Amino acid sequence: MRSVNTKKRLTKSQITARREKIVSFIVLAIAAFLFVFPLIYMLGTSFKSELDLQTHPEKIFPTPGQWTLKHYTGFFITASGELDNMPKWMFNSIWSTAATVGLTLLTDLIVAYVVVFLRWKGKKVFMKLLFAWMAAPTVIGTAPGLMIFQTVKNALGANTSAGTYMLVYFWLVVPGITGVFNVILMNNFFRTIPVDIIESAKSDGASHFKIFTKIVCPLAKSTMMVIVLFTFAASWNNLQGPQLLMAGEGQAIQTITVALAESYGGSSAWGAQGVSMATAVFSLIPVLIIFIFTQNKMIEGLASTGVKG
Amino acid sequence: METTENNKNNQTFLSLRHLVKVYPNGEKAVYDFNLEIAKNEFIVIVGPSGCGKSTTLRMVAGLEDITDGDIYLGDELLNYKPCKDRHMAIVFQSYALYPQMNVFQNIAFPLTINKYPAPVVNETLLSCAQLSGLIERLGVVKIAEAFKTVNETKSKFGNVSEDLAVLLDVEYCTAKLLVKLYNSLNGETKTAVESNAEQIAAEWNEKLAETAQTEQAKLNAENVKLNEKFHVLNGDGTEKSETRKLTRYEIKTKVYETADKLDLTPYLDKLPKELSGGQMQRVALGRAIIKDVPIFLMDEPLSNLDAKLRLTMRSEIVKLHNRINATTIYVTHDQIEAMTMASRIVVMSRGFVQQIGTPEDIYNNPSNVFVARFIGSPSMNLFEMDYDLSKNAFTYGGFDIPAHKSFKTAYQKFYAEKCGIFEEINANFDLAAREQILKILSVLGTSKVKTQTAKKGNIITRTADFFKNLFKKKDKEEVDVWLKEKTIAKEKLEELRLRGSGVNKLFIGIRPERLEVEKVVSGKNYDGCLVIEPTLTELLGGEYNVHFEFCGRNMIGKLAAKHKLSAGDKIAVRFSADDLYVFDPVTGDTIK
Repeated sequence: MRSVNTKKRLTKSQITARREKIVSFIVLAIAAFLFVFPLIYMLGTSFKSELDLQTHPEKIFPTPGQWTLKHYTGFFITASGELDNMPKWMFNSIWSTAATVGLTLLTDLIVAYVVVFLRWKGKKVFMKLLFAWMAAPTVIGTAPGLMIFQTVKNALGANTSAGTYMLVYFWLVVPGITGVFNVILMNNFFRTIPVDIIESAKSDGASHFKIFTKIVCPLAKSTMMVIVLFTFAASWNNLQGPQLLMAGEGQAIQTITVALAESYGGSSAWGAQGVSMATAVFSLIPVLIIFIFTQNKMIEGLASTGVKG
Repeated sequence: METTENNKNNQTFLSLRHLVKVYPNGEKAVYDFNLEIAKNEFIVIVGPSGCGKSTTLRMVAGLEDITDGDIYLGDELLNYKPCKDRHMAIVFQSYALYPQMNVFQNIAFPLTINKYPAPVVNETLLSCAQLSGLIERLGVVKIAEAFKTVNETKSKFGNVSEDLAVLLDVEYCTAKLLVKLYNSLNGETKTAVESNAEQIAAEWNEKLAETAQTEQAKLNAENVKLNEKFHVLNGDGTEKSETRKLTRYEIKTKVYETADKLDLTPYLDKLPKELSGGQMQRVALGRAIIKDVPIFLMDEPLSNLDAKLRLTMRSEIVKLHNRINATTIYVTHDQIEAMTMASRIVVMSRGFVQQIGTPEDIYNNPSNVFVARFIGSPSMNLFEMDYDLSKNAFTYGGFDIPAHKSFKTAYQKFYAEKCGIFEEINANFDLAAREQILKILSVLGTSKVKTQTAKKGNIITRTADFFKNLFKKKDKEEVDVWLKEKTIAKEKLEELRLRGSGVNKLFIGIRPERLEVEKVVSGKNYDGCLVIEPTLTELLGGEYNVHFEFCGRNMIGKLAAKHKLSAGDKIAVRFSADDLYVFDPVTGDTIK
């Protein structure tokens, strides 16, 4: 029965290893497909013609020869020659997200530096409070936050559209930077920096500012990347907060997520479906860019902060 | 008058007076550390781990707050100065290199972040004068050749002006001006410098004179005066000075100079993680010496290196110390490092200074049993022997070993003195007395007396303790805390009193090197020797470490390896009474 086999026979452990590999590949492939499928459908649908949208909603990609860029063309200038809302939404989302990310990084770095490298009373209590705050669900803050927002808005009399715009985005950006998780992430990383390095820099004549900018921050690059990605994703996808704040305001004030949510619920015209898919594709582009730039550093960063994926 | 002042300055370059360190958790790490350090001394603080040696160093460096006591550099009180203003450089055991910077940046770091005082120089006039001198001295042809060599050879500094400045030995600004002039030549003249040499020289000189003239006119208009080195002068004729950051060129030259000293030039663009331990250590040293400070502090810098490298780096550090005329405080737990490197050794144990002295002094005259045991490798043989005061002799198993005649008086004097001290301690048991007791315990190495730190339990026991303490009288508790030390003091006094007469046990020590060990050969007479079979022999190459039992203790002797020892061979051991050290078992101090 034994055939002459020129191939090297595999040992038992090699066979098991190969089998494990195959099984895990299949499982991962299924999981990945489940995650990616809606995105592929979205991408395909955004290229469908109106006829296709009506007749073949079950198909992932448009019928060959029926591909169209129509849903994308109306994004910048409307038919009537005005600036479309789409660039405004994108702009709102991008700048508020960028501001949130930048400010988050800055505060996280500073808070973590102060907690790890400076000696002060009440440090432990402070850290415990931070941990405790992390345990509190974010929803808790929504109602009181909104109430304060309304009170402030009324008190300031910010009824002009510019006033409302500024207040709404202040309310979006500033609370957005208070993520405790990021502080703890950075804090964990800073603890891995040997104290000797900091002390040596001190004896070399570096002030706290110099230590912060020249030694600690360059070392924290990968953790910073993780925070950038986390904060970016959270801020870009933030729907509930902006929706509550922007309720009843004009279209121009909206972020892209709010606009997307509304466009699904709004018109049921077949064309609008294509447009909303195209808008969704468009809104993914910044996320993809950020991911491409941060992914390499991210794994390293997660490993060095003691957070296991 | 001047000489005495100089002398005084020499004696007390750096002075540590009554340094005390108590950590926030109540643990006392350093007790009353006193040391006067002269210039160019190499001080090694040595002791077992946890003896407070690093803490002392960190207090000197300014990394740790000083609980009590003063540090003076010359006449300047350093206590409250931040560590960057203390004129000291520290080398850490972990090297503490900045991982994201390459070797060059690591060494240059202290220079890049600090400002240094420098005279204000008028660069335009300086460069004009230097360049016209250069043209006159070398001629245009040679200068053009210099350009050629700089362009052809692989650049050291990565910048033509900087390379030229080094090659022609001129200031950077001069080199920059020269490059400017050279580049303004058109292509044809550049290729045929030799034929056009005179013309070019004339042209350049003319340009230089013109620039110098306009600059001088400008200075005259602003009423600025220069001296012959082109330094700007103040109104009263002194040189004007400014604190400024070093220029890139200045930093580069300094870093290259330092790297040359330490053979680091090939590694300048490598990251610390790409270096070996020895190289990293040299980078750390480089970063220390580039600061050009008078005092070096080293915290176990060789402990992370392998044994062979440690040996070479040891001599490197001493050579470096001598070459740059530094004053060094070096912390180590390795007594060999201490013996070989130090000009003076400080031996510490449990926060107490046990002895300060030159290596010879510490080795030959240990002040107590701790120092005797700690210094020397293999360490000193210690055993107990009875001392008969009436005979003035040590007795062991019927043998009498007569002690030196003067020993009896020394013995009596020693115990009379110690009794006096302990009576005083017992009569008035205060903080100082308690510390004396603790010091004696640190010498003898008996179990550590717990300091009065608050017990840390969980929150329930802590609250319970709090309420308990609320109803307790405070002063009663304080007495309780010292109860253990007080009983020890009483016991010691009683023991000391007993030693005034009769036969008493004493600690006897002898260095393995001083034991005369011989291999027993049949037919030879070994009277007055201890003939014994060794329990263990260790061949070190040139000699044996021979272990054997004596007085119930394991002893080590040394035997030259030319006599081969095999199993079953016996050895004869003999020693001279002059080589014996006698220690008091009660206090651990040497009796002499």
